[in-house]
Amino acid sequence: MGIPRDVYRSFESVVGPENISDDPGVLTSYMYQPFGCRKGVWADISPAAVIMPSSTEEVVAIARICNRYHIVFKAMSTGWGIHNVPGVEGAVSLDLRRMNHILEIDEKNMFAVVEPYVICAQLQVEAMKKGLNCHIIGAGSNTSVLASATSVAGYGPDGLSMGYSGRNLLGVEWVLPTGEVVKLGSLSTGSGWFCGDGPGPSLRGIMRGWEGAWGGLGVFTKCAVKLFHWNGPPQLEMKNVPPNYVLKEPIKYYRASLFSFPSMEKLAEAARKLGEAEIGYFISRLCPSFVGLQMAAGQDFVNTWNTGMLQEMLKYAFLFVIFANSEREFEYQQKVLAAIIEETGGQISPVSEAPEMQEQTSTAVIKVDAVLRSCFRTTGGFNTSFGAMDTVDLALNQIRAGTELKNKYIRKGALVDDGGDNSATLVFDQGHLAYTEMLIMYDHHDDESAEGAFQYLAEANQACLDKKLGPPIFQISQVGKGKHGAFGPACFNYDMWLRRIKKAFDPNDTADPTAYSPPEE
Amino acid sequence: MLLELRDYMSDMKRCARCSLCKWPPLAQVKSWRFSNMCPSITKYNFHTYSGGGRMALGLALAEGRLEDITDELLNIVYRCTACGACDSSCKYNSELEVLWPIYSTRAYLAGMGYFLPEHSMIIDSLRKEDNIMMKPKTDRGKWAEGLKVKDLSRGEKAEVVYHAGCLYCYDPELSIIARETVTLLQKAGVDVGIRGSQESCCGSIAFQLGFQGEFIKFAESNIDDWNAAGVSSVVTSCACGFGIMKSVYPLLGKEMKFEVLHITEYLDRLIKEGKIKLDRSFTSRVTYHDPCNLGRKSEIYIPWKGMEKKVLGQFILREPEKVIHRGWNGVYEPPRDIIKSVPGIDLVEMERIKEYSWCCGAGAGVKQCFDDFALWTASERIAEAKSVGAEAIVTACPWCERNFKDAIAASGDDILVYDVVELVKQAM
Repeated sequence: MGIPRDVYRSFESVVGPENISDDPGVLTSYMYQPFGCRKGVWADISPAAVIMPSSTEEVVAIARICNRYHIVFKAMSTGWGIHNVPGVEGAVSLDLRRMNHILEIDEKNMFAVVEPYVICAQLQVEAMKKGLNCHIIGAGSNTSVLASATSVAGYGPDGLSMGYSGRNLLGVEWVLPTGEVVKLGSLSTGSGWFCGDGPGPSLRGIMRGWEGAWGGLGVFTKCAVKLFHWNGPPQLEMKNVPPNYVLKEPIKYYRASLFSFPSMEKLAEAARKLGEAEIGYFISRLCPSFVGLQMAAGQDFVNTWNTGMLQEMLKYAFLFVIFANSEREFEYQQKVLAAIIEETGGQISPVSEAPEMQEQTSTAVIKVDAVLRSCFRTTGGFNTSFGAMDTVDLALNQIRAGTELKNKYIRKGALVDDGGDNSATLVFDQGHLAYTEMLIMYDHHDDESAEGAFQYLAEANQACLDKKLGPPIFQISQVGKGKHGAFGPACFNYDMWLRRIKKAFDPNDTADPTAYSPPEE
Repeated sequence: MLLELRDYMSDMKRCARCSLCKWPPLAQVKSWRFSNMCPSITKYNFHTYSGGGRMALGLALAEGRLEDITDELLNIVYRCTACGACDSSCKYNSELEVLWPIYSTRAYLAGMGYFLPEHSMIIDSLRKEDNIMMKPKTDRGKWAEGLKVKDLSRGEKAEVVYHAGCLYCYDPELSIIARETVTLLQKAGVDVGIRGSQESCCGSIAFQLGFQGEFIKFAESNIDDWNAAGVSSVVTSCACGFGIMKSVYPLLGKEMKFEVLHITEYLDRLIKEGKIKLDRSFTSRVTYHDPCNLGRKSEIYIPWKGMEKKVLGQFILREPEKVIHRGWNGVYEPPRDIIKSVPGIDLVEMERIKEYSWCCGAGAGVKQCFDDFALWTASERIAEAKSVGAEAIVTACPWCERNFKDAIAASGDDILVYDVVELVKQAM
């Protein structure tokens, strides 16, 4: 369904003819979204046009035109996943790729101001030049800094030391669905970007809440995020050839170690204690297939997998990274780590102590550059389940439920046999929160596999409800009433509030509600 | 045929849409300013212009989802230098082909009669005059007039045939480099000949634009000519020619009784053997631009043919194992070694080098069809060179050199451009 030519021309007058298109080829390429698609790679609904604004002013003008002509819009940054595609016919996509600047790095106050299309890899290298570092979400450094901070989840294994994206959000510039510009936190009082909660209105709970509105409440055009101290070199030089780029020089006061435990409970106890001790840079569970796929593909992986070595070694294991600021701190952290490992019956894997493994893990840990290998390498079909951010105990329950359920579908042959438990990540925010996702790989072009994956996700969502495991991170499209509609009644009817917020902030239903919440009727 | 869209269905269907094709391998990102990898998406921004977007287009065409082949679609398809950057970046984390589906999409469209008017002119020139420059074939050998060099097309014999390539033959400003190359080789005692007016285009542009029939004709003809001439080596200064001869010619299945070498490989060998001595100082801070076709695109391409089978439930295993071309096996060190052997030279590297080098912008017909895009791409590289304080860009491809020179002329910049051969000449 196209948009009327006069409306098209109105958009065109805002962004210029070279930055808008409704060519079928262009639109089709935007429909290619395997991640989250029920089957195959194509979204069911095409955007009516793709518009690429370059500034807040242009976003405002587009939003006003949308309100005037009752056109729904949906914004995307890097656009990875089907939730980026409009879920209603006749809507326009706002591709924010032209808004890609790092506007400021405030070294003294340790924050950066970014536009939507700045990816974590870009911000990190610029921050490091100033002795700073940024949080990178688990999906990888190819993702937008702003998107996870303002709109979607935001967990990553370096969250042990650098919080999570929602926590790190400071001042925000927000174009509401109506086209009105709202500035949040200190920005609203002309005090700069340094704080998200004042002086001035916070609205953090409304604009983002726990996991973000997924583009359902307008467009975030600029935001500031916290940066953290970086004690490494200003530039990380690499050596070797792809796919094995590793750091040319070891980093001082840096040590990555793999620990295995006698049980999941002991592993969780260790993780919790490490968080409470406020040491460490990075922690992540390492499941066997995840690790194996980081290091090999095809027959090489299968051969290794069939030996059972990975499964044995990584049954209950995590990677823990210390990165200290001084020799004394380095020693202190190692002592604390050793004590906690001893208390919890953990064992260090000698493999991880080898210089080659230190090199290899450090690139992946700091740069978060190779996550794709462990998720999309086997088939291209990937999804994730569970994922409510809460306590370590809840994460454990998610892992148990997810493993049991996944094994059922692995036995049916619907999913890649990754051993069942392919859960990622652990404690974050210095230990008082925990997070896990249960990853699945399947063949999205195979009817039975795709349908099996869909059924698994539906059952996993139901398990989240039945077993009180919290709302899952994704799976928006698989739940009939929308995620919030399904989970709201189990959680103080919070979905009612979302519908009210949607109604209040978007009176003309202009921002695509598909991945968020419909307005109150 | 070499380029069949259906051969790449599996690759096109399994792109993760992660956008890694838009940036250098993430571990190699060094700054915000030079963190782009693909000129096409960087300039035009719609996702469609990226490697992933092009895979989606190819898949949509193959599946019959796109019935209207619009002018805009054709512009998108051909506003791409086919530099292979997307392919290298993607393969940092995957085993998917990206560049060959891009070629195959073009071949698919060309096979249905969809191409740009400029392409007709290029291909007509190729058919009628054996070159892509729209110049008479009879003028092809003029660059060598006055040189005392064997002409193998007249039955003379030599160990080495020097293939100048279309641009060196017809661009009067650049022809001098071809002449200097032959002189250099002769001074080093190399038994070298040329094919004069009988030299033909390598077919690279025909291949990259999707005109497979023309490519095969020229490639087979060249192989036959060089076999018949009895040469042991084909040496070329044109990176585009080298790339196609090295990576694609072997796929034709014809015996190649000769070795294909780029001039930088050959000169590097001669310098290391002491047959060329560089003892004159040339004081300059220079940077080296890796031509795509000399670098990541010169790996010998081995298309995968086989069966996909499933193990571990849905894990897709390719039998036989696929050979992955990640781009690191190109010609990277010989030109650098030559430059470093010039007394007084200070070689400084740019941020994007080797397998993750930024393209000059001239490739795959872009210079001929979208010169503004070509010049913009070059200007980005020039900015990168200047950012490391280089006074000159050294390269090893006439197309790169031409495009850089044109961009510098357009901008009024003062950075210099040299071919590696020019440096060697100055240092002798």
